[in-house]
Amino acid sequence: MSLTAFVLRRVALAAAVLAVFSSLTFLFFAAKTQPLASHPLLPAYWDWVRGLFTGSSYHSLIGSGIDGFVPPSLWARVVPALGRTAALVGAALVLVVVFSLLVGLAAARWRGAAPDLILRTGTYVAWAVPPFLLGLLVQQVATTLSDSHGLGPFPIAGWPGSCPAAIGINSGTITPCPGAGHGATFALNVLRYITLPGLTLALGFIGLHGRYLRSALVEALDAPFITTARAKGLSERRVLVRHALRASLATFMGVMLSDFGAVFGAALAVDWVFQLQGLGTVFIRLFPTEGFAPIDTYLLQIMFMLTACFVLAFSLLGELATRWFDPRVRAEQT
Amino acid sequence: MSAAVETESPPYETIRQRGGYWAQTGRRLARQPLTLAAIVVLAGLLVTGGLAAQIAPERWNSLDLAARWHNHPPTLAARHFFGTDNIGRDILVRVLWGLHFTEQAALLGALFAALLGIVAGGLAGLYGGWLDAVVMRFVDLVTAFPAIVLMIAAFFFLAPLTVAKATLVFTLYLWTQVARALRARIVTLGGEEYVQAARALGASDARIFFRHLLPNAAGTVVVAATALLGQIVLIEATAEFFGFGVASLNRPTLGNLLAEATTTGIGRYNTLGLGWWVWVSPACVLVLILIAVNLIGDGLDNALNPRARRSG
Repeated sequence: MSLTAFVLRRVALAAAVLAVFSSLTFLFFAAKTQPLASHPLLPAYWDWVRGLFTGSSYHSLIGSGIDGFVPPSLWARVVPALGRTAALVGAALVLVVVFSLLVGLAAARWRGAAPDLILRTGTYVAWAVPPFLLGLLVQQVATTLSDSHGLGPFPIAGWPGSCPAAIGINSGTITPCPGAGHGATFALNVLRYITLPGLTLALGFIGLHGRYLRSALVEALDAPFITTARAKGLSERRVLVRHALRASLATFMGVMLSDFGAVFGAALAVDWVFQLQGLGTVFIRLFPTEGFAPIDTYLLQIMFMLTACFVLAFSLLGELATRWFDPRVRAEQT
Repeated sequence: MSAAVETESPPYETIRQRGGYWAQTGRRLARQPLTLAAIVVLAGLLVTGGLAAQIAPERWNSLDLAARWHNHPPTLAARHFFGTDNIGRDILVRVLWGLHFTEQAALLGALFAALLGIVAGGLAGLYGGWLDAVVMRFVDLVTAFPAIVLMIAAFFFLAPLTVAKATLVFTLYLWTQVARALRARIVTLGGEEYVQAARALGASDARIFFRHLLPNAAGTVVVAATALLGQIVLIEATAEFFGFGVASLNRPTLGNLLAEATTTGIGRYNTLGLGWWVWVSPACVLVLILIAVNLIGDGLDNALNPRARRSG
């Protein structure tokens, strides 16, 4: 099967999953809330699907009888939040790949010795601390080491142009928020704001995947072809990087990317703790904390869809990575 | 596959591998002190949590009314070993009861999820064909729901959340992992000589499943179910951090104790002036459970699949 056919097939499958998924969430969650509970189900579902393309929101369902009511676009709240979450997840992905490689290689290089033991202890602890707690700890450490605004140039909360809510950190001294800037300045600002949350999000997954990579490397290092490489007189570093890592890379990248969908749940918590106003914040704010305020069911559905898309996209990326890094899989499928 | 490896190995290897499946696994486990330590720690925590009513019969909301014991750091005096919170509730007692209810949710959820997973994965693996296709596509579908998003929505729509409802949600979401693992194992085992021999002798499907497949796949199921324990603890804690689930007033869990302490007692949220000990205690117990569960999962995996053992 060619690559295009493979991708097309997977995308078609994903679309089918999304269709079933959206009708299930619609049936179990959205249809339970006002105003959909008093509307016929199928037309309401169809209205939502149409809204995905026209941008009409759930407000159009409520306000359809009111003259001169212009409903806000469905995507108006989602798109900026999606950008912020994408920046957070992207930063975490880069950090996870780089540091998992470093941790895995170092642990495998000094297998059984002190660096290995320290790194393995670290990976178990990092993976076991829930992301929201890790975020709070990072903020606590940052404020202890530096001032209440952040660790040097890295703020402990907020996003360029939108400063955090005035609890604690800004209490009494509400400073005017510096502008977000344009072009390169904006990109630099985003990097400054994304550093601490990105690290928080990445840390647990570095713990998980660094450990997987170590196991794969250790297994590879016992293989006959490594003995051959050593017998040829190659340096230990070259044996590790060029031979053992090359053999483990397909599994590592495949598993890492396939499981990266799980990052979304953690990104939700990190987003909330660091007040990034990304998808996590949008999602949590959807649910009224008390009373009988209606839920924006269309937006809730979009959130379900986006998270499912995220999981499906990374699972496809994982398979593509396996194909890319493993010549055997590539040969089998072409 | 493992049979093929064993016949290839030299004779002394065969002699050393005496005893049944579980005896061998036990012997391999005994060579992993870290896994054994994790099992002891987890068992200790579970027993302590289970005995909460005997250890702390005064329950989680009892107050020490003496003002000097309000928001007091850990001390040996007055037996406030983990300190007290701002209204004089003993943290040790609260953490103990939190452990009790967290453990209840995790054990119930993991048990029912494992049972449903065994049924679904067993049927899919045993019969194959369209049944397999339907079950596995369903597994794919459920897996595409990200845990936290689904749990928060479910907890919100099911409010007020009870133990039964929470167990139902965890069961319906987490069974897929057990089902997927068991099905894969059964498909592998189906090609083994002893299974084919049993089939040739005319054994019924039920006999093959319960006498041959399930005992040999038990390790896989145990590993998957152990992982579920950790996931439930983590999901519950995260959902409660966001304010979904139950309040500690009615039913303390490690998650809501930690959540309530952190949203008011740490960093920029510290509006009540709570001490570090209020959130450190539940956090440490929670992290300890998760570390132990991960270590046990990895250790069991190594003991059950000796070819991958080298990584230990």
